[in-house]
Amino acid sequence: MSSETHHDGVARLGLLASAIARRPLRVAPGERGEAAWTDGKVVFVDINESARGQLESLVVQASLLAAGSLDPGIVQRLGRREALAKRYLAVEGHRALATLEALLPPSSRSLLDARLARLGDSPEASLAAARSREELGDPPGSFGAIHPPRLIASMRSAEGTRSSRRTVTHQQRARVELAEGATTDDAQEDPFASPVGGGGAIGKWLSKVLTAVRQLRSGGAPGGADAPTHWTRARGNGKAVFSTATTGDIEDSTGAGKERGRKYPEWDVHSRHYRMDWCTVHEVDTRSSKDAERFAIPDRTGLRRSLARLGLGIDRYHRQAQGDDIDIDAVIEARVEMMAGSAPDEAVFIDSVRRRRDLSVLVLLDISGSAAEPAGQGGTVHEQQRAAAAALMLALHELGDRVALYAYHSQGRSAVSLMPVKRFDETPGADVMQRIGSLEPGAYSRLGAAIRHGTALLQDLGGTPRRLLVVLSDGLAYDHGYEPAYGAADARRALGEARRDGVGCLCLSVGSSTDIEALRRVFGASAHAAFARPEQLKQVIGPLFRAAIRSADVKRRLE
Amino acid sequence: MKDAEARVLTSDSSVKDIGSTFKSLRPHYIPVASEERIFKAAYRQRLAILIKGPTGCGKTRFVEAMAHDLGRPLITVACHDDLTTADLVGRFLLRGGETEWVDGPLTRAVREGAICYLDEVVEARQDTTVVLHPLADHRRQLQLERLGVTLNAPREFCLVVSYNPGYQSILKDLKDSTRQRMAAIEFGFPTPEVEQDIVSHESGLAGAQAAELVRLGQAIRRLDIAGLREVASTRVLIAAGRLVVDGLSMREAARAAIAGPLTDDATVTRGLFEMIDVYLPDQRA
Repeated sequence: MSSETHHDGVARLGLLASAIARRPLRVAPGERGEAAWTDGKVVFVDINESARGQLESLVVQASLLAAGSLDPGIVQRLGRREALAKRYLAVEGHRALATLEALLPPSSRSLLDARLARLGDSPEASLAAARSREELGDPPGSFGAIHPPRLIASMRSAEGTRSSRRTVTHQQRARVELAEGATTDDAQEDPFASPVGGGGAIGKWLSKVLTAVRQLRSGGAPGGADAPTHWTRARGNGKAVFSTATTGDIEDSTGAGKERGRKYPEWDVHSRHYRMDWCTVHEVDTRSSKDAERFAIPDRTGLRRSLARLGLGIDRYHRQAQGDDIDIDAVIEARVEMMAGSAPDEAVFIDSVRRRRDLSVLVLLDISGSAAEPAGQGGTVHEQQRAAAAALMLALHELGDRVALYAYHSQGRSAVSLMPVKRFDETPGADVMQRIGSLEPGAYSRLGAAIRHGTALLQDLGGTPRRLLVVLSDGLAYDHGYEPAYGAADARRALGEARRDGVGCLCLSVGSSTDIEALRRVFGASAHAAFARPEQLKQVIGPLFRAAIRSADVKRRLE
Repeated sequence: MKDAEARVLTSDSSVKDIGSTFKSLRPHYIPVASEERIFKAAYRQRLAILIKGPTGCGKTRFVEAMAHDLGRPLITVACHDDLTTADLVGRFLLRGGETEWVDGPLTRAVREGAICYLDEVVEARQDTTVVLHPLADHRRQLQLERLGVTLNAPREFCLVVSYNPGYQSILKDLKDSTRQRMAAIEFGFPTPEVEQDIVSHESGLAGAQAAELVRLGQAIRRLDIAGLREVASTRVLIAAGRLVVDGLSMREAARAAIAGPLTDDATVTRGLFEMIDVYLPDQRA
């Protein structure tokens, strides 16, 4: 066996280690000749050991993590004393195995020494026993070792991410919110504008500004583009609303964008008013570096499947002229009518109709400097977010939705840059992949302006009645004169404006260590979720999309 | 053990069976806590019952056992997202040029005083639960709009619904107004000892081998990872046990019945195979 495949074999035990430790845990080959140890995220096993020895040390190390033997408080007290750590392992290893006895693989149960396991009933007791003068003997070789300094170092770096990771499923559940509730708190914050558009002076001014921005749509795009959303359940002719934005529009907007940029207001939370024309957003092309790292096209089968399950996918309609099932109620009515001598209605089928083409999605990807930080699960936050954005964009495109992907960062209020990675009418080909690959994190993030520009783009170029803005960000809004509290208020405000204009908002945070409270401050009432790895997207994306779209639907019905 | 099952033909294919009437053997069910007492008390007090719990932990079996104990026929409806009110209540069919009313499963249960079990009720369309409301509260009435009739449920009728709180549904949840009309029983997976007994009883596997399967199942349930659709339920452990009884090796059976159904993700599958190899011996039964 080559050493390559041998390593792979070790990594494959990751699932076993995670199951025993009850937390995500990887297994990696350690230094040659070094006893097995763990830093809380990875178990390093000795590649010189036999397969059985590796398995045993892995089980012991994972058990230590599960039994709380390596909690920070204890590890700190072990300090740098190797001998004490060794004695502690000799006692605590058995105790950890004993607490998990019902779960251990059969081959590892022989490791357990009942006498030593009885010495301590808690990590503290084991530590006391290790400090005593009792003759303990060395731990068996297959226990590996505990390296307190390395553990402490790794725990420090993981401090922030851990809390968010452990309870991620609950948070995802808890944090899906519909925006109906939110509109009210937006209204509380803003005495000037009513949810529907605003009758106050500022509201009027704002609507004027937004109309000027919208002028492209009212002038250029055909009127049908904003057709009514609500399909009549009875008798549809099966034609979905199709995108109608023309390329002319796009040329216009980008041409204008390049020359002078678009100006957007910003919400000043301290004085509680808008700062007019405060931010200037430029659309700039991505610098496609020749040596752009080859960006691997992410797998999105699962994602596509969850998105296809959305209510937007296939829906069943009764009383159709053709279809794949008979609508019994309609048939019976038709028969009754026929017998009564009148002409029956022949639409007696149930049809499955796709009505997903009435959705356009704009994905905003945060490429500010904070995204360069290491993610909890390996790689950087930027890499994780980029993979998620690309997967989402591709999946939506493949499902036939109109989708665009823009990256953003900023350098002060006059230089908010949005980089079109994929415009609405582009097909995601090699050039788009190249652009994604050459995105590099840098500068700051003026989230509010980016959201306002994204909303405007969706309104001008989306071309469909349902519009959705997806923001992929670590939730840190920071720029010159845009400190976190101010930035969070502005971003929240911008999301509220978007919803008010009938654009659904969804905020996703992938792999970052921002805690939930901070995310909530920034994303407010918009549907938002945080998860550790891009692959987890597929589990929550369906309901999140539904919630976000519904929040915008509510607004449209009010109109 | 095979219950006498009477298949019922109606307009709706989702009606599974009227099985396990009181003449047959009691379905094998081992109580874990006070669930049997709660069920019977709620039945006597004519309250509707809500059963919560993960897939494959024994909800359906529990209801079958209760129906047997109480001596009532059981009508099970597996709910799906296309289940309409008419599917539950009944509809007019054509027969020889005349229209004829055919009762749906719910109506039949009310008329017969049976226990009506709606499995995975959140999967049904939201509007179907409207018909359940007057039936679940003190009125205990079923309104048949098409017929202009209101049926009063007899004492023996009982409405039981089940749902799986963690089942891919963040937003799909029972309405509070529905929930408040019911007495709830929460289900989890049984303790290892009980589960071993169940696996060995249901599959005919020897106790020691059943214990090894249960140990593997317990370990898989500790995983909180993406890519795993559901945890290894008692049901998949029993399936693996039955494959072993039929001559497969423990590992083959676990791969086919536990790893395969749980995930499509290649990496997770490899990891699960590895776990199976560590936990289970290779020899045949």
